[in-house]
Amino acid sequence: MAKLVIDNINVEVDSGETVLDAAKKIGIEIPTMCFLKEYKALTSCMICVVKIEGVESLMPACGTIATDGMKVETSSEEVCQARKVALELLLSDHLGDCMGPCQVICPAGMNIPLMIRQIKAGRLEDAIVTVKQDIAMPAVLGRICPAPCENGCRRAKFDQPVSICLLKRYVADVDLFSAQPYQPVCEPKKDKRIAIVGAGPAGLSAAYYLLQKGYTCTIYDDHDKPGGMLRYAVSRDKLPEDVLDKEIALIEKLGAKFQGKTKITSAKELQEDFNAVLIAAGQTELADRDLMGVFAIPNTAARQKLAVRAVAEGKKAAIAIDEFLSGRNVTGPQKKFNNRIGKLQENEIDNFMLLADHSSRVSPLRKSEGFTDEQAKQESGRCLHCDCRKTDSCKLRQYSQQYQARQNRYKGKRNLFSQQIQHPCIIYEPGKCIKCGLCIQIASEAKEEYGLTFIGRGFDVKVAVPFDKSLAEGLSRIGHKCVEACPTGAMALKD
Amino acid sequence: MDKLDLTFVDMAVEQIGTGREKVLEIAQCIQEHFGYLPKEALERVCELTDITPASIVGVTTFYDQFRQQPAGKHIIKICIGTACHVKGAGQIYEAFQRHLGIADDEDTDSEKMFTVEKVACLGCCMLAPAIQIDDIIFGHLTNEHVPMVIRDFLEQEKARERQVSKQEYTKSVKYLGEIRICLDSSCVASGSGKVYNALKTAVEQSGVAVVVKNVGCSGMSFLAPLVEVVSVDGASFRYARIQPQDAMAIVLRHFKPRQFGQKIKNTVSDMLDKILTDRAWEPVTRYSIDVRDQPVAVFLEKQKHLATEHCGDIDPVDLDEYIRNDGFEALRHCITGLSPEEIIREIEHSGLRGRGGAGYPTYLKWSAVCDRKSDKKYVICNGDEGDPGAFMDRMLMESYPYRIIEGVTMAAYAVGADEGYFYIRAEYPLAIKRMTEAINKCCRRGFLGNHVLDSKFSLNLKIIAGAGAFVCGEETALMASIEGRRGMPRLRPPYPVESGLWGKPTLINNVETCAVMPWIIRNGAAAFAKIGMGSSKGAKVFALAGKVARGGLIEVPMGISIRQIVEDIGGGIAEGKKFKAVQIGGPSGGCVPAELSDIPIGFESLNDVHAMMGSGGMVVLDESDCMVDIAKYFLEFTQNQSCGKCTFCRIGTRRMLDILERLCEGNGKNGDIEELEKLAQMVKKASLCGLGTTAPNPVLSTIRYFRDEYEAHIEKRCPASKCKALITYSVTDDCIGCTLCSQHCPADAIEMRPHEKHEIDSEKCIRCNTCKSICPTDAIKVE
Repeated sequence: MAKLVIDNINVEVDSGETVLDAAKKIGIEIPTMCFLKEYKALTSCMICVVKIEGVESLMPACGTIATDGMKVETSSEEVCQARKVALELLLSDHLGDCMGPCQVICPAGMNIPLMIRQIKAGRLEDAIVTVKQDIAMPAVLGRICPAPCENGCRRAKFDQPVSICLLKRYVADVDLFSAQPYQPVCEPKKDKRIAIVGAGPAGLSAAYYLLQKGYTCTIYDDHDKPGGMLRYAVSRDKLPEDVLDKEIALIEKLGAKFQGKTKITSAKELQEDFNAVLIAAGQTELADRDLMGVFAIPNTAARQKLAVRAVAEGKKAAIAIDEFLSGRNVTGPQKKFNNRIGKLQENEIDNFMLLADHSSRVSPLRKSEGFTDEQAKQESGRCLHCDCRKTDSCKLRQYSQQYQARQNRYKGKRNLFSQQIQHPCIIYEPGKCIKCGLCIQIASEAKEEYGLTFIGRGFDVKVAVPFDKSLAEGLSRIGHKCVEACPTGAMALKD
Repeated sequence: MDKLDLTFVDMAVEQIGTGREKVLEIAQCIQEHFGYLPKEALERVCELTDITPASIVGVTTFYDQFRQQPAGKHIIKICIGTACHVKGAGQIYEAFQRHLGIADDEDTDSEKMFTVEKVACLGCCMLAPAIQIDDIIFGHLTNEHVPMVIRDFLEQEKARERQVSKQEYTKSVKYLGEIRICLDSSCVASGSGKVYNALKTAVEQSGVAVVVKNVGCSGMSFLAPLVEVVSVDGASFRYARIQPQDAMAIVLRHFKPRQFGQKIKNTVSDMLDKILTDRAWEPVTRYSIDVRDQPVAVFLEKQKHLATEHCGDIDPVDLDEYIRNDGFEALRHCITGLSPEEIIREIEHSGLRGRGGAGYPTYLKWSAVCDRKSDKKYVICNGDEGDPGAFMDRMLMESYPYRIIEGVTMAAYAVGADEGYFYIRAEYPLAIKRMTEAINKCCRRGFLGNHVLDSKFSLNLKIIAGAGAFVCGEETALMASIEGRRGMPRLRPPYPVESGLWGKPTLINNVETCAVMPWIIRNGAAAFAKIGMGSSKGAKVFALAGKVARGGLIEVPMGISIRQIVEDIGGGIAEGKKFKAVQIGGPSGGCVPAELSDIPIGFESLNDVHAMMGSGGMVVLDESDCMVDIAKYFLEFTQNQSCGKCTFCRIGTRRMLDILERLCEGNGKNGDIEELEKLAQMVKKASLCGLGTTAPNPVLSTIRYFRDEYEAHIEKRCPASKCKALITYSVTDDCIGCTLCSQHCPADAIEMRPHEKHEIDSEKCIRCNTCKSICPTDAIKVE
């Protein structure tokens, strides 16, 4: 038995248990990456360091045996700084994009790569969910968006960018013209009302997301029909009226009340009937917009005539309003930590192409038309999948976010991107490996014939299968466990 | 490609064994045979043994010694130890690459004759810059020597192939005296081997009854080859920097031949004639130095020889001579007259602290292992001395193997261990050879093995050769290495005294610590405690090297000041330059500036000035040394030697080095120094093992004492004119137009203009310093 104090809380553990075990016992969470309960502590990532009174060095909690009288600090400034530096050091040698460059560029931040993979897998019902998570009116945007995302597409280095915009239009059209278009499930109704001034893309988008949160929304507009600039500033050739109407109708069906031909001059007046006001009218300037509970969308979106930005701003405002109305701090959507490779080097693209279809960009027969099923499927195969396969489960990303680590704090020479794809179900990207050694240990204990090993030493150390064997030979049985244990996207399942 | 004949592998495995821990030994054997590690051979090993593919690949790629690709016929090892670094090892390396036409990203010439490698330290710092080709060491090199060295080596190679083994000259006669010469690796590198052979031949030919004896190093390696003649009445004469051709003259000067046979006479007179007619000949006496005179007297008298007792007197591997000089007295006393507790108490009272670096009280380790109940305990002598700029342990092992064995045996007896290991770095083949020989002799004579000195106590000692990994000096990494794993340290606690080798209580002591133990027992704890000061007792062996006039191995009482060492023992700074700093403690230590050099040597006093005793490397720096470059040099070393396990050391040291490289390349920016300091503090605080936690020390101490130099680098200036990117070479008006520089410039940056002032094309100049070192009128300016 050992009695110790962690963050001023007394705790008693069996002898042989670690500081990490002890902390867990009293609900104190210490971040870990290279640690897995049933395996020997590797003490390599050093993210779990804690301060032990009387010990000069910071100690990794996962491997430090708790002893009687120990006094431990798990979240002091010193400890947090050390964790942050550890993360920043790991990031300085971490080669990979968390999100695909397309998604980073997309003003709405849509998960484009995921949508494309869903198209490729024929799961259109999932694809529309992905799309609508960030874009309330994809059929509209699929016709008028200038597609900044495609400027970021890495595929352009090889031939031409993936036709992202048309793929999105395809997903949206299939859904919109189906018998039962997708409608998100809304949270139970809250007794809170929101007035939205302006029925353009921003206002409609805000309403779409607020309704999902259970709020009641009324949209006011000068015009008699909703749509704003989509209806009055975009040519009908580009955006047929029925598409616009149908997509707006879906929002109205979700519960949005539209009140046309209404000129709003004062936010204050609206506040009498509503819990919050959103000014989403690009051209309208209200004098009293700086009131508590009044939100406004920057009208730059409207001026740039970039509908996708307006849609994005609408969603952002919805999140802020929800925060406000539920009494939380109003921060707007949290920007997620995102590691980037940056500009590719000569020939680096070849390695990205390993799993992609080499055929050239598909074009619809006529310019105004969308993709056919076949075309969409073919085009979706051109995506390089440069986003990380573990964007949501990567511990490095999660902690980098938590400790606000900066990718570029320490700059060093970067390696070239590579991926190993020979394994039937696993992809290995050495550039993302943090050399924690978990997979090596797992393979070794599973008695894999070849398994994995560290090659070399120091900064240049690599994890690989011995004797230049393929990953399939190295991990013939225990691959899934390694993928699960890998704290980053270095080892991941193929799609 | 032809199929590789693997029968050798089968034989090697049969001989060595099939256990997992044999991986290092088997791989070393295979590399020795094939010159590298062929994949097929390693795969075969996995088929034959319990060693897994993951293990053998992991282990063999961890250590520097192993090659995955075939090497050239001969290996040129360029020492980049500290002493060699400050004396231009980098330029020597480049000169070899150029001379052999080896491209930057390769290491072997096109004819597969030579492979050029950098090695951490050859351990012959006073010969700096030094290199080793196969097993021959060349020292004091300059760029211009490079072609000569290659030529000389190839000639020797041919000679060696022709040589027929000659019979040793032995006669049972009463000896008139002794001629002593040290044959340790650094003295051999200075030519001792040739002199030894010449002396033997001279004795043989003249027929005098004199023994030519190989003795342990006196430490005065700056005078090597050093010959000491002891006449029958005990009078001693020393000759410094002897050449082989001087041998006969020395012999004849001191000893009268009993019979001067005609044949010999002829030979001798022929030789003397040759000497006499040679205009370059100067009388041998000119080299003679009397030990009572300056400056050698100072060199010896300030010293205190405990670990190096009888230095220069006794034959390293002559067991009888060791015994005659009180050898194994201490062990006998321990076994017959003292209980383990009494021995430990004696060590406690002596105040002995570990000589490996950290200075942990020795008795505490001993009693911890002693108190531990276990069916098995181990004792390990750590001879993995890897600090660049340090060669104390090598000299001790080469010169006093029995003393170290005696110390280890006493320790094993005191803690109750019956099995032990010497872990010796692979770069020390002579140390391995002599220790092996000494162990074998001890076993035969009952000092080791079963029933040591007819007692109940038994001890079996084994030698493990390291394979080139500095981190294996860290005790947990060392044990991992012995167990046949990658030399990666683990978290302590548990300490080895609780859970060490194969989980058993293990005592690990450094070579010097072991070497001093017999002295303590023989002379008593009080005698030892009388030497030194405060909590630093006894004497400490240092490897004094760098810019001092006289470098070498010294053993000084604790408490002596740095200045006394540099000035009195080292003879001050060579070439009349200004004393700037002393780097103490190698890559874990720090730079003590000249202003602070009056502080006494001691564990705490050195810590107080942000240096560290370390294992005892002491490299003296002068005004021409750039402190940023020194910091970069050490960090390059530790960064390269990092095992790669923990984030702070693996990446942290690399990022620190990135900043230092930026500074030295003139790409530094404001804020870099602060960022470097911050990161250094973090690496120090949060790395897993001693390598990482001390790696930032050289950086932090140079920033502390020489911050202005760092700042100068941000302004793209190198005050010491050392950093290549920040300096230019030009010719001054002192140029006499001799064209020497032009002839030797490897980059064709100097146009040949006889009798005119030359000019250096800065674009082409590679800053190799050849012109400066060759110019007879010192007309090359660097700024």
